[in-house]
Amino acid sequence: MSSDYRPAAMPGSGRPASPYWNPYLAGIGLGLVLLAAFVLVGRGLGASGAFSSTVAWLVNLVAPAHAQSNEYLQGYLGDGTTHPLKAWLVFEVLGVMAGALFSGLLAGRARIAVEKGPRVSTALRLLCAFAGGILMAFGAHLARGCTSGQALTGGALLNLGSWAFMLMVFVGGYSVAWFMRWQWR
Amino acid sequence: MAPFYKYGFFGDEMSLVLAFVLGTGFGFFLERAGFGSARKLAAQFYLYDMSVFKVMFTAIVTAMLGVTYLGWLGWLDLSLVYLVPTHLVPQIVGGLVLGVGFVVGGYCPGTSVASLATGRIDGFVYAFGIGAGTLVYAEVFPWIKGFVNSNGMGQVTLPEVFDLPWGLVVFVVVLIAVAGFSAATLVERRFGDKA
Amino acid sequence: MIELLTTRHNPLVDPTLHVWEWQIPVYLFLGGWVAGSMVLTGYLQRQARAPGQSSVSDRLPWIGLVLISLGMGALFLDLEHKLYVWRMYLTLQPLSPMSWGGWILLLVYPVLALGALATLADGALDRWPRLGAFARQLQSHTATRWLSVANIVVGIALGIYTGILLSSLGARPLWASAVLGPLFLVSGLSAGAAFAHVIAPGHEEQEQLLRFDNLFLMTELGLIALFLIGLLTVGAVHAQAAQLLLGGPFTAVFWVLVVGLGILLPLAIQSLTLAGRIPHTVIAPLLVLSGGLALRFVIVFAGQYSEWISP
Repeated sequence: MSSDYRPAAMPGSGRPASPYWNPYLAGIGLGLVLLAAFVLVGRGLGASGAFSSTVAWLVNLVAPAHAQSNEYLQGYLGDGTTHPLKAWLVFEVLGVMAGALFSGLLAGRARIAVEKGPRVSTALRLLCAFAGGILMAFGAHLARGCTSGQALTGGALLNLGSWAFMLMVFVGGYSVAWFMRWQWR
Repeated sequence: MAPFYKYGFFGDEMSLVLAFVLGTGFGFFLERAGFGSARKLAAQFYLYDMSVFKVMFTAIVTAMLGVTYLGWLGWLDLSLVYLVPTHLVPQIVGGLVLGVGFVVGGYCPGTSVASLATGRIDGFVYAFGIGAGTLVYAEVFPWIKGFVNSNGMGQVTLPEVFDLPWGLVVFVVVLIAVAGFSAATLVERRFGDKA
Repeated sequence: MIELLTTRHNPLVDPTLHVWEWQIPVYLFLGGWVAGSMVLTGYLQRQARAPGQSSVSDRLPWIGLVLISLGMGALFLDLEHKLYVWRMYLTLQPLSPMSWGGWILLLVYPVLALGALATLADGALDRWPRLGAFARQLQSHTATRWLSVANIVVGIALGIYTGILLSSLGARPLWASAVLGPLFLVSGLSAGAAFAHVIAPGHEEQEQLLRFDNLFLMTELGLIALFLIGLLTVGAVHAQAAQLLLGGPFTAVFWVLVVGLGILLPLAIQSLTLAGRIPHTVIAPLLVLSGGLALRFVIVFAGQYSEWISP
């Protein structure tokens, strides 16, 4: 068996959840969307930039003086003539939500749940998720993009930095995998 | 002549609408592949399910071939497609940190969005963590700015670095991908039973 | 002081400045939702029911009372002279939609309140004998018929009024469209149906309301198309106003939040729910409601942005 578990069914659906697509089929779909982004707008897909825009917007709401004096957040606030959330990646991520929700509903996989291995408590899993998110933010900002913005997009464009980045993601992941196995198996 | 946006076929506002439409496709295929689930994603690092590698490389090869052929046909001006500038050392460090974050948290930013949209609480907490991390990063940015911007090599591609023809590099990447797919399937057979 | 005397600097005169903030769109949205709810209540009241069978139309009047009060609260916050509200009701200006609106709202309350009274169960009726006797009369066949007619008529009037209110303000070319009334009515109907199928007690009624909601959402798409085509063909100033939604600063928000997330996605989900492919959840109705709210925000804000200066 290549995948060791099937997604759990949605409550109330009365049907088991559909299995995931063949990875090559999903990959071709993803690749065609990426290609369409290149052809239509001349840029790839991404995600982490949307988080930066959202954070910049929120900080600007709470403490405008602080946000506008912060060198990093400034870049996401723009010149003040347009709303900080009116950014390409924010709208793209909104679409990701809609698309994933639709696919999840259609397959009977959308449900309130925590994804974790059998040996870890929910509280610890959520703590790890939070910590992982913080690490991810640092990694993505240092690398100027995340798995979608750098690895996927830059990978297809044969970008030097993207390939170096992608290799290191796998190196970093495999090097700590053994120490984190209690969380997943 | 593509990219249409760069040639002025439509304006900024329409590009945002397209961002949403493209994002819908992105999210749909991410969820179809199973990438709304941290367990499916983390399995990549425990070798019993290599879907992350397979999906990612299939997508990269598909888009790369598309870009290459459209470029050769003269329909797509590749110089107008945005390329993130390379800063080798910060990107290597960033990749390592991100890889660790991937295994600890179970997602990357894009997949966490797909997971929270399908109701996963850990995906939501993870996205919240990215927000918190971004906030901290913004505060420490003045001190690490020098490092982040070091090693600047500009917009540079693999064919340029190795001084090889574009087509040859594409061919090599396809070969590596195909070899990788077979290897991944073998690895899944070897480690899959231990699940 | 000189600035105040030159009209171009007076923010209440210059049509390019925003006078209305969040209160008006919220009020128009809640008003439309109540309007849709009332029409559906009236329709469902006419359906034959087995004795003791509950219907969502027993719950809607109560919720309508809450929603319209919230809406009036938002409207009240917007008023410059809060103490002079009562003056609206000293006159009926037949040519002023504002005046009509004030009177329609005055009719909404009693119709909703009577509808709510008629749903009281026996326990409550026995506790207050006088009220109980009155409520029992309301539950009679004839009274139910009249109440259903009143719900439908007042509901349609309220729904159309929320759009006409904008159309009548001639200073904004984006609003100068007769489609706005029906558009806001249908949007209100879809919000009402979306909410009603979430709280509907019976499976049959739920399915019926889902079907209605899909029909309303499709009609809304058609009316949006008519609205834009109408503006584009009537003259340069109006075409310029339509450009606000077709390439201008409100394009992305309109097509993504209103059309994409507010109409197309819930329409797809609800159609698949009817086909038995997706279980019934609150997700699609939530999208419909937020889409309806976004529609009011976009139309009110974009309208205030549009002006009578030809391109």
